[in-house]
Amino acid sequence: MVKFLKPGKAVLLLQGRYAGRKAVIVRNFDDGTRDRPYGHCLVAGIKKYPSKVIRKDNTKKTAKKSRVKAFVKVVNYRHLMPTRYTLDVDLKDVVTVDTLQSKDKKVTASKETKKRLEERFKTGKNRWFFTKLRF
Amino acid sequence: MVAAKKTKKTHESINNRLALVMKSGKYTLGYKTVLKTIRNSKAKLVIISNNCPPLRKSEIEYYAMLAKVGVHHYNGNNVDLGTACGKYYRVCCLSIIDPGDSDIIKSMPGDH
Repeated sequence: MVKFLKPGKAVLLLQGRYAGRKAVIVRNFDDGTRDRPYGHCLVAGIKKYPSKVIRKDNTKKTAKKSRVKAFVKVVNYRHLMPTRYTLDVDLKDVVTVDTLQSKDKKVTASKETKKRLEERFKTGKNRWFFTKLRF
Repeated sequence: MVAAKKTKKTHESINNRLALVMKSGKYTLGYKTVLKTIRNSKAKLVIISNNCPPLRKSEIEYYAMLAKVGVHHYNGNNVDLGTACGKYYRVCCLSIIDPGDSDIIKSMPGDH
């Protein structure tokens, strides 16, 4: 009875190329739109997780290992598994509906989310989000 | 120790309440619609049969936990739950959207 699919919710993608990846909901469309008459949402997720950094690594290596590759996608609610975790990064201005219209806009949006996710990873918070789901 | 066997009396009362919901309230039957109603926060109570596959059962329970919806584990399998709903098919899980005249929401969610 409580709405839980809200912006900031961490979800797992279940279908598609990014199945098994973690993502965060940026914007919901609970009642759908004319093009997509089903409940769906805009998510920003991790395409490639950052590798494990060990104490032995020098700064250049840690910088290389802490890289995150991001993606932006519109996903049906059916293809998501919501979790109890949240990730509050401000991606509302970066990821919008019209960024998914053309390829270069999508690339710039992904690059910007990559930057924001990387800086969140480096603070050490939301560790669950940046660990790969083993299955 | 948790009461392993539910008394006949409470089991009958659940059946009576379910019958009243079927007659006067709104409900959906089936896994896909149960998840749909939980997602759009229409579900008030979810009832799962006892032979529901454990992965599906945990998934519905997790969704219900996120949405703060009560889950009731029915004391019977999907055949019995279908019969209790007055249907001639098996029902593994159902979701009550509007209880109508029944007090199933107020009296049931206490027990899991």
